[in-house]
Amino acid sequence: MFSESAGRLLARAADSHGVSVETLIPRVRAAVGKYILRDEPEASFQGIQDFIDKLQADDLCLIVACEHGNQKAWTELVERFSATVRSAARSASSNEEGAEDLAQSIWAELHGLRLRADGKPAGKLAYYSGRGSLAGWLRAVVAQLAVDQHRKDFRLVQTEEDADFDRIIQHGQEQQTWSGHGGAPNPELLISTKLAGAQLQKALAESVKQMSAEDRLLVKLYYFDGLRLREAGAVLGVHEATASRRLTRIHSELRQQVETVLIEKEGWTKPETERAFSEVAVNLEADLEPLLASEPILMKKENEVAG
Amino acid sequence: MRGHRISQMKQANNNEVDLLLQSIARGREESAARSALSSGDGKQFVSEHLDADELNSYAEGVAPAYARARYMEHLADCDSCRKIVVGLNQTAGAANRYEVPAESGFALWQKLAALFSPPVLRYAVPALVLSAVIGIGFLALKQRPDTQFVAQNEQRTKAPSLTPGENDAAANNAPAPQSTIQDTAQPETKRHAVIEKENPSVQKERVAESSPAPQTLSQLAPGKDAGLSADSATTAGSRGYAPEPKAAAPPPPAAVFDSAKSTDLAKERPVKREDQPRAQDEVSRAEGDDLHGPNRSKSNTGSPADGRTAGIMRVRGPSAADKKKTGEASTRTVMGRHFAREGNAWIDTAYEPSRATVRVTRGSDQFRALVADEPGIRSIAEQLDGVVVVVWKGRAYRIQ
Repeated sequence: MFSESAGRLLARAADSHGVSVETLIPRVRAAVGKYILRDEPEASFQGIQDFIDKLQADDLCLIVACEHGNQKAWTELVERFSATVRSAARSASSNEEGAEDLAQSIWAELHGLRLRADGKPAGKLAYYSGRGSLAGWLRAVVAQLAVDQHRKDFRLVQTEEDADFDRIIQHGQEQQTWSGHGGAPNPELLISTKLAGAQLQKALAESVKQMSAEDRLLVKLYYFDGLRLREAGAVLGVHEATASRRLTRIHSELRQQVETVLIEKEGWTKPETERAFSEVAVNLEADLEPLLASEPILMKKENEVAG
Repeated sequence: MRGHRISQMKQANNNEVDLLLQSIARGREESAARSALSSGDGKQFVSEHLDADELNSYAEGVAPAYARARYMEHLADCDSCRKIVVGLNQTAGAANRYEVPAESGFALWQKLAALFSPPVLRYAVPALVLSAVIGIGFLALKQRPDTQFVAQNEQRTKAPSLTPGENDAAANNAPAPQSTIQDTAQPETKRHAVIEKENPSVQKERVAESSPAPQTLSQLAPGKDAGLSADSATTAGSRGYAPEPKAAAPPPPAAVFDSAKSTDLAKERPVKREDQPRAQDEVSRAEGDDLHGPNRSKSNTGSPADGRTAGIMRVRGPSAADKKKTGEASTRTVMGRHFAREGNAWIDTAYEPSRATVRVTRGSDQFRALVADEPGIRSIAEQLDGVVVVVWKGRAYRIQ
């Protein structure tokens, strides 16, 4: 099956760069295992053939030829995609010098500086499956390399989002999450407000965890990454209007879920939950005003730290 | 950016959740920044990140469904991979925008091909045919009244261009009409309508004419008239449609308002003006007789033989010698009354023979009393010599 499919793939390529069917078979098999058989071990023969027939034949042949040391293919790869790599590096780097370094290092990463057990360079070329475009894959490689370099340089610890929520909630319990401007210091009221706010945020975090991955991704893209609905919808592969409707539904479901958690786990009453949401609306709207005004300053500080 | 997003959210009921999520996101940013500054051990959450190929296949939307769901789950929890995907997606979107012109030609061709595909043509062709039929029918219906209107204009514009003399000549020299019966019937009816408007007394004659004698097509067909005798040919010629504009045509302005003529002509002018409608009435009546048969009401005014003779004479028209003998027109209009000359008498056209008359002798006391009460009758008696029969205020007077 793979031999026949690889033959068809080779026939589709305008320039095979001297790549043979036998050379292609392991790449095709790896791609099928990665995208099909891992999630669907009993995938149909037809489904696998359709998958193979949609692989980027020209790009895959070029990369395989490069992997096997075809200098002509390397030259073509560099000529065709150096602009793409430079552009991706400029987007991923904060300055022109860093972008140039990143663009230069990418070719070495692709070729591989170390040798594998079979004596071939352990470059990233081996990971291109041909499922997406070669240009997009190169951009992704550049972006990952930039993240790795950023981590090395600043020892940035990536946080899991779930742990993030927990830590925020802990932080909210330690500090006052919404400040309650006006500062009428009634100690009892202050404590009860703090507790109510912490419990509300904890319930919200739990509710977010219970959401589906797609809804959670939309929330992250929209609220945490600051994307517009159109951009968030594009990442999800849906229209802006669909993303908007989905977000409205998420709000409704989250509110119901939070109320359920507060009533069942924290022993709140229905009027208390409603009053808590109302106070949230009043207090957080007041809190957001200075935040919006100081956002450019915060960003500037972050840039200074990053630089 | 957040302000814009806030303005986008038009959900009053769920605004609290929106604000809470923003608060959490803000707290998360602060926490991440604090962690980045405080953590120095290089500790990382070891998770199975997506490789570049998977990230790219997700961003380009080519990942299979199961794999895509798995990637989505990871992206929802992995900040780093999600940022890469967002960047790739935005770059891919920009790239797609740049590639739009190259693809637009192909897309246009595909759209055209889809437009003329059999499934579309199956419905489009009958719809187009139906639209064409409706359009043609509408145009045909719209053009029909226009054609009639043009024909009427031709009739009316030709008639006034002829002087009375020219009308006669045109009537005599006019070629045999080539129109159909329907074409002639309509102008005839209109002409009668005009005459009736000018002279209400004609209406009564029209009532009598409304029951015409049967008339064959051969009598109306001018081609066949050529084979008849001279009299019948003349009669047939008078039945034709060439003289018709003469009766329908209004008097030419030049003949009426030409002040450069001699004073004699100026004196005669009112008389001619008064005579003209009456002459038209005569002609129209003669034509009416020819078309619809003899006028029975007219025949009652005299002996049948006289009526027939008069009819023939009218059809033939007065000869030059007759005109010299009479010297004047046979009709006059005085004080708004139309009078026809019959022998030595002027008979009001509104007079009916069956009506009783009041005999009044000129110069008598009765005549003086009458004209004192009705000055109009005095004017009529003064302008018309001989016997005058006039219908005045519902009564008929015979002034002699």
